[in-house]
Amino acid sequence: MPESSETTVVLPAHLHARPAGQVVVTAAKFTSTIEIVYGAKTANAKGVLALLSLGATAGETVTIRATGPDAPAAAEAIATTLRTTE
Amino acid sequence: MNGTVGLVLVSHSADLAAGLRELLRQVAGDAVAVTVAGGDDDGGLGTSYDLIRDAIAEAGSGGGVLVLPDLGSSVLTAKALLEQHPDPGVRLVDAPFVEGAVAAAVIAATGADLDTVADAAEEAWHARKL
Repeated sequence: MPESSETTVVLPAHLHARPAGQVVVTAAKFTSTIEIVYGAKTANAKGVLALLSLGATAGETVTIRATGPDAPAAAEAIATTLRTTE
Repeated sequence: MNGTVGLVLVSHSADLAAGLRELLRQVAGDAVAVTVAGGDDDGGLGTSYDLIRDAIAEAGSGGGVLVLPDLGSSVLTAKALLEQHPDPGVRLVDAPFVEGAVAAAVIAATGADLDTVADAAEEAWHARKL
Protein backbone atom coordinates (compact mmCIF):
# COMPACT_ATOMS: atom_id res chain seq x y z
CA MET A 1 0.00 0.00 0.00
CA PRO A 2 1.52 3.32 -1.06
CA GLU A 3 2.51 5.78 1.56
CA SER A 4 1.01 9.23 1.63
CA SER A 5 2.50 12.42 2.96
CA GLU A 6 1.24 15.97 3.16
CA THR A 7 2.87 19.22 4.19
CA THR A 8 2.24 22.92 3.73
CA VAL A 9 4.53 25.78 2.74
CA VAL A 10 4.06 29.53 2.91
CA LEU A 11 5.59 30.71 -0.35
CA PRO A 12 8.42 33.20 0.17
CA ALA A 13 8.05 34.30 -3.48
CA HIS A 14 5.61 33.96 -6.37
CA LEU A 15 5.52 30.48 -7.91
CA HIS A 16 6.74 31.87 -11.21
CA ALA A 17 8.67 30.24 -14.03
CA ARG A 18 12.05 29.66 -12.42
CA PRO A 19 10.89 28.12 -9.13
CA ALA A 20 8.30 26.07 -11.01
CA GLY A 21 11.13 24.65 -13.12
CA GLN A 22 13.08 23.80 -9.95
CA VAL A 23 10.05 22.04 -8.48
CA VAL A 24 9.73 19.85 -11.59
CA VAL A 25 13.42 18.93 -11.54
CA THR A 26 13.15 18.02 -7.84
CA ALA A 27 9.89 16.09 -8.33
CA ALA A 28 11.44 14.02 -11.13
CA LYS A 29 13.86 12.47 -8.64
CA PHE A 30 10.99 10.67 -6.89
CA THR A 31 8.64 7.94 -8.01
CA SER A 32 5.74 9.21 -5.90
CA THR A 33 2.90 11.17 -7.40
CA ILE A 34 3.27 14.72 -6.11
CA GLU A 35 0.54 17.33 -6.24
CA ILE A 36 0.61 20.94 -5.21
CA VAL A 37 -2.70 22.34 -4.07
CA TYR A 38 -3.44 26.05 -4.02
CA GLY A 39 -6.99 27.07 -3.19
CA ALA A 40 -9.33 25.13 -5.45
CA LYS A 41 -6.55 24.28 -7.93
CA THR A 42 -4.34 21.22 -7.96
CA ALA A 43 -1.25 20.76 -10.14
CA ASN A 44 1.01 17.79 -10.76
CA ALA A 45 4.46 18.83 -9.52
CA LYS A 46 6.03 17.23 -12.59
CA GLY A 47 4.30 19.65 -15.00
CA VAL A 48 5.71 23.14 -15.19
CA LEU A 49 2.76 24.69 -17.04
CA ALA A 50 0.26 23.31 -14.53
CA LEU A 51 2.35 24.73 -11.69
CA LEU A 52 2.43 28.13 -13.36
CA SER A 53 -1.32 28.09 -13.89
CA LEU A 54 -1.86 27.77 -10.13
CA GLY A 55 -1.09 31.47 -9.94
CA ALA A 56 0.24 31.04 -6.39
CA THR A 57 1.77 34.21 -5.05
CA ALA A 58 4.19 35.20 -2.30
CA GLY A 59 2.79 34.87 1.21
CA GLU A 60 0.19 32.31 0.19
CA THR A 61 0.06 28.78 1.57
CA VAL A 62 0.25 25.77 -0.71
CA THR A 63 -0.20 22.14 0.24
CA ILE A 64 2.12 19.44 -1.06
CA ARG A 65 0.63 15.98 -1.33
CA ALA A 66 2.83 13.02 -2.17
CA THR A 67 1.66 9.45 -2.67
CA GLY A 68 3.99 6.54 -3.32
CA PRO A 69 6.91 4.57 -1.92
CA ASP A 70 9.06 7.65 -1.30
CA ALA A 71 6.23 10.03 -0.34
CA PRO A 72 7.69 11.57 2.85
CA ALA A 73 11.05 12.34 1.26
CA ALA A 74 9.36 13.67 -1.87
CA ALA A 75 7.05 16.00 0.03
CA GLU A 76 9.93 17.27 2.14
CA ALA A 77 12.17 17.85 -0.90
CA ILE A 78 9.48 19.83 -2.70
CA ALA A 79 8.78 21.84 0.45
CA THR A 80 12.47 22.69 0.75
CA THR A 81 12.61 23.72 -2.90
CA LEU A 82 9.59 25.99 -2.49
CA ARG A 83 10.87 27.52 0.76
CA THR A 84 14.25 28.38 -0.72
CA THR A 85 13.16 29.86 -4.04
CA GLU A 86 13.63 33.52 -4.64
CA MET B 1 20.55 7.13 -26.55
CA ASN B 2 22.15 8.73 -23.55
CA GLY B 3 22.39 12.37 -22.60
CA THR B 4 20.04 15.27 -22.30
CA VAL B 5 17.59 15.98 -25.11
CA GLY B 6 18.49 19.17 -26.98
CA LEU B 7 15.95 21.69 -28.27
CA VAL B 8 15.92 23.67 -31.51
CA LEU B 9 13.77 26.80 -31.66
CA VAL B 10 12.75 27.68 -35.21
CA SER B 11 11.23 31.11 -35.59
CA HIS B 12 10.61 33.72 -38.27
CA SER B 13 12.34 36.17 -35.98
CA ALA B 14 15.89 35.80 -34.65
CA ASP B 15 14.94 38.04 -31.73
CA LEU B 16 11.92 35.90 -30.85
CA ALA B 17 13.98 32.70 -30.89
CA ALA B 18 16.81 34.29 -28.89
CA GLY B 19 14.38 35.72 -26.34
CA LEU B 20 12.68 32.38 -25.87
CA ARG B 21 16.05 30.71 -25.42
CA GLU B 22 16.87 33.24 -22.69
CA LEU B 23 13.61 32.39 -20.94
CA LEU B 24 14.29 28.66 -21.19
CA ARG B 25 17.71 29.12 -19.66
CA GLN B 26 16.16 30.84 -16.70
CA VAL B 27 13.42 28.25 -16.20
CA ALA B 28 15.34 25.08 -17.02
CA GLY B 29 18.95 26.05 -16.32
CA ASP B 30 22.05 25.47 -18.41
CA ALA B 31 21.86 21.67 -18.50
CA VAL B 32 19.73 21.65 -21.66
CA ALA B 33 21.23 22.52 -25.03
CA VAL B 34 18.95 25.02 -26.74
CA THR B 35 19.90 26.27 -30.19
CA VAL B 36 18.07 28.70 -32.44
CA ALA B 37 17.29 29.04 -36.13
CA GLY B 38 15.75 32.49 -36.33
CA GLY B 39 15.02 34.54 -39.43
CA ASP B 40 16.24 34.06 -42.97
CA ASP B 41 19.80 33.79 -44.30
CA ASP B 42 20.13 37.57 -44.49
CA GLY B 43 19.03 38.23 -40.93
CA GLY B 44 15.54 39.35 -41.87
CA LEU B 45 12.21 37.84 -40.93
CA GLY B 46 11.73 34.43 -42.49
CA THR B 47 13.02 30.90 -42.39
CA SER B 48 16.32 29.36 -43.41
CA TYR B 49 16.81 25.71 -44.31
CA ASP B 50 20.54 26.01 -43.62
CA LEU B 51 20.10 27.68 -40.23
CA ILE B 52 17.70 24.96 -39.12
CA ARG B 53 20.09 22.23 -40.27
CA ASP B 54 23.00 23.87 -38.41
CA ALA B 55 20.93 24.40 -35.26
CA ILE B 56 19.94 20.71 -35.21
CA ALA B 57 23.57 19.64 -35.59
CA GLU B 58 24.57 22.01 -32.78
CA ALA B 59 21.84 20.82 -30.39
CA GLY B 60 22.63 17.12 -30.74
CA SER B 61 24.20 15.84 -27.53
CA GLY B 62 23.35 12.15 -27.69
CA GLY B 63 19.91 12.23 -26.12
CA GLY B 64 18.12 13.31 -29.27
CA VAL B 65 16.84 16.62 -30.55
CA LEU B 66 13.35 18.12 -30.43
CA VAL B 67 12.57 20.76 -33.05
CA LEU B 68 9.96 23.39 -32.15
CA PRO B 69 8.78 25.65 -34.97
CA ASP B 70 6.74 28.83 -34.39
CA LEU B 71 4.34 28.79 -37.37
CA GLY B 72 3.89 28.75 -41.13
CA SER B 73 7.07 28.38 -43.12
CA SER B 74 9.07 27.52 -40.00
CA VAL B 75 6.97 24.39 -39.77
CA LEU B 76 7.13 23.64 -43.49
CA THR B 77 10.87 24.19 -43.79
CA ALA B 78 11.69 22.11 -40.72
CA LYS B 79 9.35 19.38 -41.97
CA ALA B 80 10.95 19.35 -45.42
CA LEU B 81 14.41 19.17 -43.91
CA LEU B 82 13.54 16.24 -41.68
CA GLU B 83 11.83 14.41 -44.53
CA GLN B 84 14.94 14.79 -46.67
CA HIS B 85 17.27 13.82 -43.81
CA PRO B 86 15.29 11.40 -41.64
CA ASP B 87 16.89 10.70 -38.28
CA PRO B 88 15.14 8.80 -35.47
CA GLY B 89 16.97 11.00 -32.98
CA VAL B 90 15.52 14.23 -34.37
CA ARG B 91 11.82 14.98 -34.02
CA LEU B 92 9.59 17.83 -35.12
CA VAL B 93 6.89 18.51 -32.56
CA ASP B 94 3.46 20.11 -32.94
CA ALA B 95 3.18 22.35 -29.87
CA PRO B 96 2.58 25.95 -28.80
CA PHE B 97 5.92 27.71 -29.31
CA VAL B 98 6.46 29.35 -25.91
CA GLU B 99 4.56 26.99 -23.63
CA GLY B 100 5.73 23.89 -25.48
CA ALA B 101 9.35 25.01 -25.33
CA VAL B 102 9.14 25.80 -21.60
CA ALA B 103 7.50 22.46 -20.80
CA ALA B 104 9.97 20.56 -22.98
CA ALA B 105 13.04 22.33 -21.59
CA VAL B 106 12.09 21.69 -17.98
CA ILE B 107 11.39 18.01 -18.61
CA ALA B 108 14.61 17.69 -20.63
CA ALA B 109 16.47 19.13 -17.62
CA THR B 110 15.27 16.16 -15.56
CA GLY B 111 17.09 13.84 -17.96
CA ALA B 112 13.92 12.55 -19.62
CA ASP B 113 14.11 10.80 -23.01
CA LEU B 114 13.00 12.20 -26.37
CA ASP B 115 9.50 10.63 -26.23
CA THR B 116 8.83 12.13 -22.80
CA VAL B 117 10.14 15.55 -23.79
CA ALA B 118 8.02 15.54 -26.97
CA ASP B 119 4.94 14.52 -24.95
CA ALA B 120 5.54 17.38 -22.51
CA ALA B 121 5.65 19.85 -25.39
CA GLU B 122 2.40 18.50 -26.90
CA GLU B 123 0.64 18.54 -23.53
CA ALA B 124 1.14 22.29 -23.54
CA TRP B 125 -1.93 22.50 -25.83
CA HIS B 126 -4.02 21.65 -22.77
CA ALA B 127 -2.41 24.02 -20.28
CA ARG B 128 -4.71 26.90 -19.42
CA LYS B 129 -3.18 30.19 -18.35
CA LEU B 130 -5.99 31.21 -16.06
